[in-house]
Amino acid sequence: MRSRAGSLVLAILALGTWAHGDIDDAFRREHEYATRTILCDCGCSPQSVHACACGRAADMRAEMATAIRGGKTGAEVVDGYVARHGEKIRICPTASGFNLLAWLGPGVALLAGAVGSVVVLRRWKDASLAREAATPSSPPAADDPYVARIQEHLREYE
Amino acid sequence: MMAVELGYYGLFVALLASAWATIASMLATVSRERGLQSSAERSLVVSFAFIVVAAVCVEVGFLSNNFRLDYVFHYSSVSQAIPYKIGALWGGQSGSLLLWVMILGAMSTVVLWTNRSKNRALMPVVTAVLGGVVTFFLVLVNFVESPFTLGPPRSDGVGLNPQLKNYWMMIHPPCLYLGYVGFTVPFAFALSALANRRTGDVWFRTTRRWTLFSWFFLGTGILMGSYWAYIELGWGGYWAWDPVENASLMPWLTATAFLHSVMIQEKKGMLKVWNVLLVILTFSLSIFGTFLTRSGIISSVHAFATSNIGPAFGVFLGIVFFGSLVLVILRLPDLKTEARLESLVSREASFVFNNLVLVGIAGTVLFLTTFPMLSEMATGRKVTMGPPIFNLVNIPWALFLLFLMGVGPLIAWRKASASSLRRNFVVPCATGAWVLLAVLLVAPKAYLVGLVDLFRSIASLDVAAAFDGLKIFYPALTFALGAFVLGTVALEFHRGSRARRAQLKESAPVALGRLVWRNKRRYGGYTVHVGIVLIFIGIAGSAAYQKETVQELSPGGVLEVDGYQMRYDGYRLEAVDDHVGAVTLVSLYQDGRRVAALEAEQRFHPNMMFPELRDAFLHAKALHGGDPRVYQDAVARLYPLIRHIEQGAGREVKTPSTEVAIHATMSPLAPTRFGEDFYVIPLWVDPATGSANFRVFVNPMVNFIWIGAFVAFLGAHLAVLPDARERKRLAVTMALEERAVA
Repeated sequence: MRSRAGSLVLAILALGTWAHGDIDDAFRREHEYATRTILCDCGCSPQSVHACACGRAADMRAEMATAIRGGKTGAEVVDGYVARHGEKIRICPTASGFNLLAWLGPGVALLAGAVGSVVVLRRWKDASLAREAATPSSPPAADDPYVARIQEHLREYE
Repeated sequence: MMAVELGYYGLFVALLASAWATIASMLATVSRERGLQSSAERSLVVSFAFIVVAAVCVEVGFLSNNFRLDYVFHYSSVSQAIPYKIGALWGGQSGSLLLWVMILGAMSTVVLWTNRSKNRALMPVVTAVLGGVVTFFLVLVNFVESPFTLGPPRSDGVGLNPQLKNYWMMIHPPCLYLGYVGFTVPFAFALSALANRRTGDVWFRTTRRWTLFSWFFLGTGILMGSYWAYIELGWGGYWAWDPVENASLMPWLTATAFLHSVMIQEKKGMLKVWNVLLVILTFSLSIFGTFLTRSGIISSVHAFATSNIGPAFGVFLGIVFFGSLVLVILRLPDLKTEARLESLVSREASFVFNNLVLVGIAGTVLFLTTFPMLSEMATGRKVTMGPPIFNLVNIPWALFLLFLMGVGPLIAWRKASASSLRRNFVVPCATGAWVLLAVLLVAPKAYLVGLVDLFRSIASLDVAAAFDGLKIFYPALTFALGAFVLGTVALEFHRGSRARRAQLKESAPVALGRLVWRNKRRYGGYTVHVGIVLIFIGIAGSAAYQKETVQELSPGGVLEVDGYQMRYDGYRLEAVDDHVGAVTLVSLYQDGRRVAALEAEQRFHPNMMFPELRDAFLHAKALHGGDPRVYQDAVARLYPLIRHIEQGAGREVKTPSTEVAIHATMSPLAPTRFGEDFYVIPLWVDPATGSANFRVFVNPMVNFIWIGAFVAFLGAHLAVLPDARERKRLAVTMALEERAVA
């Protein structure tokens, strides 16, 4: 009987510890989401509240912690800041509307550039092959005085 | 006061001389009059001499505490240490501009001297461009932002921003300026080549060393700035994608692209238009960087040096960029070359992609940096572009660049056959694949979950989450690609030295040494690649595996993080130089063994404009060296005094700063922690009880960044060393061009 009661106490304690750990984890997750999403408004480089080392960031971290302990989620804390300060309080813009240009524009432009480069390189290759086919098989130096001069001079010092 | 007048009039004479140099060289371009060109060149040298006089006069103002000079008043104080008084020259706007124009004057003088008997046909336009840029900056320091503006007599100054009082900050800006300013030389030669219709190889062969020099100093300046941010700003990182950081990165990227693409012009005579455009773009981005730094159009950590010169820079930038573009368009027929490309699988093609990615990343950085302005114009809403979006958008391309860095050296010029691809790439690819597998096997479940999350984000069209989902794979990919690149470089060194050993019967070290010495540019380049790979590895490791904790401790308390135990031993207060500091003393343990004793400090720099505060501070400072208890009490009393004055003034009367303590593990005996930093800062310290709130980071692999920087530094030096074959090649090219023009 005693061992059963002991087991029960232990189980309750374990459950409590687990639950407490879970609460801690949840708090940490929500707090981290909020601090990593919101910009520290100290006015120096664009750093999140999480990363910034200034006193203002410490105040904001504490403010967010209080709000989350008071029952708010990280997203609600972020929404509150955005409502008070506008979109610019987010460390980076949401990936929607006009902001999609910032998220996807560079990648699309680079892919387009890559496709364009392949097209240009293919053209160059085709033009080179066409030229080669059109010219007799004699060494290029004999036909091209510029190349011949270069080769002559390179021979001089090598 | 005599020095002030001398400097003031010296700057004006310098302006007259550089203006004449510009006009005379332009006239010499048209008339081909040698006398005019000589006069222009001499005037530019005279202008430099007077700029030096002016800079010396500003320094005299700093060293003699001449606070009647507004510039000295704002950036110095009686208690400022002498090195920082000297370095305060570039602590603000007008002094930075003066330093810029002084460096440009010095470089112009060197260009004129080294080209006194060569490139004579190019020199009039080169002189006009150099003179024009010098004149622009001299107009600014004479009429818009003069360092010789006088104010009322003052007994003390405000002092340099405390965060700038750091050794690295003293050498980082001059280093950056050497880079920015140096690009003026290739730009001037490129414009001269266009104007004179001498678009052959001479202009870029002549300026190759200048380009490397500028690229090297800009890169070194960027890394020094990163190191300064790491040890001074106290947030555990080294790069924040601040607009001004971005402004220095952009020209460095385009210059890197130029250093690669110019090889194609050398070897194949291709990409002439592209190379000229890259030089123009690099110089324009250097000016744009200064425009961003100084105009304040985008908020930045460098806002300490903003002013009203933005419009002037905007106009100058417009003239430089669009004027140069017009010239390129006018000279397009001269820049046309026969494209000689045999295969898309060739080094030429890989260099084109390398250029695309480098310029693409520079364009992305420019686009994201200026996006807040675009957003406001388009939607009326302000947005912030913080580090996450820069990282998420740029990293995939940076990884592709890393891949190309490995492909470039081993792929053959003209056309790579299947057998040569096999021969060259099997070992590096296998190395990369093994590393990838090893990293993935460390936490296979995490990668699988990450993959599922990534697909889920893509399926739900959640763009930000999809970018975020890629993050988990970046370190593994970076290490694998890094191993691939290191494999290709090692193979190049191995094959080259093996060939020498076989042909010339040299011993292995001799063969390797001679191989490198006789191909300095090539192997210098490979060494730079190794350095860049190490930097990539350092960035990936420190960003992905950083551990952080914030904990309040009383003296005697212990915190644990990632296998370290940190005991807070105690603290002391001090009033030294120009600050009040709470120095925390901590001991660091690993596996019960004490590995380091560290001191991290939280400082306040009191505003000396408040007499009560200044007197109390000086009183406390004077007690240093006497009875320790009396001294500590005097310093402790400064804290409530500061609070009291702040309440009365309604604003802060102190500037906070931190001194980070770092313990680096650099022993090969601890391979899993090699290159790791234990990084600690006190966020606040209670001067009465000593209770302190510590922020601690464990930054794995971060020292690979600085090791990589050093390796790249060595490689760049090797590549820039004089080379007899290069000299001969330049002489032949010049002779050919002279004959072609004749």
